Amino acid sequence: MLSARQISKYFGASQALHEVSADFHPGEVVGLVGENGAGKSTLLKVLAAVHPRSGGLSTLEGKPYAPHDQRAAERAGVALVFQELNVNRCLSIAENIMLGYLRKYRRFGLIDWRRLHGDAQVILDRIGADFRVTDDIETLDLGQIKTIEVARALATKPHFIFFDESTAFLNHGEAVRLMIVIRELKSQGIGIAFVSHHLNEVFEISDRLIVLKDGALVGDWPTKDMTEERLAELMVGREMVGGLFPPRACGPTGTTRIEMHGAVTASGMGPVDLEVAGGEVFGIGGLKGSGGDAILAAIAGIKPLTTGEMRLNGSPYRPRHPAEAWRAGIAHLPGDRTGEGVITDFSLLENLTLASRPKRAGIFSDQARMAEIASAQITALGIKTAGPEAAVSSLSGGNMQKVLLGKCLAVTPTLLLLNNPTRGVDIGAKAEIYRIIHSLTTKGLAVLMVTEDLPELLGLSDRVIVTRNGRISQTFERGAQLNEQEVVKWMM
Amino acid sequence: MDDVTGKSSHAPTPRRSAIDRLRQWFPVGLLALLCLGFALSSDRFLSVNNGLIILQQSAVLLVAAAAMTFVIVSGSIDLSVGSIVALSALGAAALAGPMGAWAILPAIGVGLACGLVNGLLFAYGKIPSFIATLGTMVIFRGLVLLYTKGAPVSISDRGFLLFYTSRTFGIPNAVLIAILAMIVAAIIFNQTVFGREVRAVGGGERVALLSGIRVSRVKLWVFVLCGGLCGLAGLLQAGRTMAATAQLAQGLELDVIAAVVVGGTPLTGGIGRIRGTVLGVLIIAILSNGMNMTGVDPYLQNIFKGLVLIVAVFLTIDRSKISVIK
Repeated sequence: MLSARQISKYFGASQALHEVSADFHPGEVVGLVGENGAGKSTLLKVLAAVHPRSGGLSTLEGKPYAPHDQRAAERAGVALVFQELNVNRCLSIAENIMLGYLRKYRRFGLIDWRRLHGDAQVILDRIGADFRVTDDIETLDLGQIKTIEVARALATKPHFIFFDESTAFLNHGEAVRLMIVIRELKSQGIGIAFVSHHLNEVFEISDRLIVLKDGALVGDWPTKDMTEERLAELMVGREMVGGLFPPRACGPTGTTRIEMHGAVTASGMGPVDLEVAGGEVFGIGGLKGSGGDAILAAIAGIKPLTTGEMRLNGSPYRPRHPAEAWRAGIAHLPGDRTGEGVITDFSLLENLTLASRPKRAGIFSDQARMAEIASAQITALGIKTAGPEAAVSSLSGGNMQKVLLGKCLAVTPTLLLLNNPTRGVDIGAKAEIYRIIHSLTTKGLAVLMVTEDLPELLGLSDRVIVTRNGRISQTFERGAQLNEQEVVKWMM
Repeated sequence: MDDVTGKSSHAPTPRRSAIDRLRQWFPVGLLALLCLGFALSSDRFLSVNNGLIILQQSAVLLVAAAAMTFVIVSGSIDLSVGSIVALSALGAAALAGPMGAWAILPAIGVGLACGLVNGLLFAYGKIPSFIATLGTMVIFRGLVLLYTKGAPVSISDRGFLLFYTSRTFGIPNAVLIAILAMIVAAIIFNQTVFGREVRAVGGGERVALLSGIRVSRVKLWVFVLCGGLCGLAGLLQAGRTMAATAQLAQGLELDVIAAVVVGGTPLTGGIGRIRGTVLGVLIIAILSNGMNMTGVDPYLQNIFKGLVLIVAVFLTIDRSKISVIK
């Protein structure tokens, strides 16, 4: 048995795990569930020594278990299968399975291929893989690639295997095959813990459920005693933080700003129909990649529609480049702050004017206007900085996010697209950003927001839609009784 | 949890920014040091005449390096500048007879066309600029060889030679043209929206794109501009050598890249100054000139040049800002 007692984990100043205790038994499948940021992956990664723990004890078969790195955890019998695909397609299947142990297969300084292939094939047979080690790795699908990673974990002869969102990149058929592999491992007496956002998978395969919330343990229950509704309640189970969200606006005051009719993109979104009016915050909830990002990308001119149409202020709108969206008065705040939003090496001044780029005489950059814009946004948004010439990299996450928002507002948009507008931002800056968004909508701005943060989705939006597999699964109109359990149900 | 990695959330310490400020002055310091050293070891070095010789020697490099600054700041590289200079010089030499001083037009025209080819291959053909311009470097040089069959095309037109080799107010016309080109380049770089867009593309291409900058178009224009300036450099080269040859400006791209980098513009893009490039060109030109003046063994000179390049970059770049050094 693997026992964890009062495990804590800090990343810098933020606490990801708060004295979590849990037990894992051989031959048992444990499902870890909770919202984004609840600490599920962190718990598994701490136990597999991918991250060093900040506090707490753990024992394996009654003996102290404190591996100092992942290799030591594997030697002790605990292996982790990562969420990301970590297979190197330049190597053969057998090499990938035995990666890290290739030195054991040396003969006269060269690799003993026959022995390597033999051992790797034994592992593949053990989990009933439908391909052979000698196959070309390029012919495998994502599910089979995932199987290689499972085989790699098995090569360490583990007593426990942890799966961190292993089905996240798999399609339905591939996920089903992985479930079969997990059952096979269970029947061989291996203890399994897995994280998944797909509650149906959790119910299908787990014996026991461990629920985490905000880094703390909520409790554990036998799966057969649990219902999906009760689980959603446990996962969310928080009271609204009073005062974080401004009072709801009086609702849409303007005319319809953007419309989508039967909109479909090549990335598998749609068909989607929606209308957003001036003066409202229109919220889109859903799991990552379920359609919200794609809707924003289509409106922002990043991914064109393949069929269907969009209308902006009643006229047909077909952007082929983000430049056209910006020119039409649509500002886009992307989800990846430093990769897509701001250039951290550049000054606040340059970042705040990156989208507006004021001109004079047609080609010259209007430096006076730039300085005006920068100081106006710094004041209006309350950005704490040494001055407009300071590099954005010197700012905190919250202030960096405000620079990004300022870049969008500097063009005086009529439609604002927000993608997780407060991701990784502390609660104080969050409240300020909410207040700013609120006051802009009272002045007639239309806001379309995609967010993975449920309280934000419910607290800020006038209307909410939930997406699932590229389509709208549910619409909550204005005044509808919104609660997190109900919204979560339509995501899964 | 994306904020927890935030290495950028720490404010820079005063000590760091003091070092940053020092780094900025490094090219000036190096230039002053070189001048001082050469002046002490040769009494001919510090004279008006030698100053003009240095400027004359560096005119071609100056114009080509200004062009390269745009390319490097935008995050790309152009290896074909030497070949563009040679092909443009050939254009000027071949048409100097009928056109006289107006041969500047075919020279710049050839350069623009070469830049257009590079830009289309890179920005729209999506071929990495290093590879695309490596290919065109060979092709443009091949065109020069094909036309000249290895024999020099000499310029005998009096109008052309008179204009490009005479002096105005005691300063060689070629130097004046180069200075004028530098001023125009600096204005484009510092004062125009295009200049800002070039910096944004080099600083963060994805950010630039999502902020509504037409990244492909900016990349294309950067290469066209680079080609045009190299065309002008080719004209100056033709005026200096009074002929176009197949070996003209061979290996110039390396001097050009060295000058830009010594001037404090990192190859990673987004950051850079035309002013820095001017200093870089002067450092390289003065190093060559001074070593000749003071009688440094010609066989040693390349080794010193290489050392100066490496030491300059070693002291100038801020390694903490670059996560992967390629």
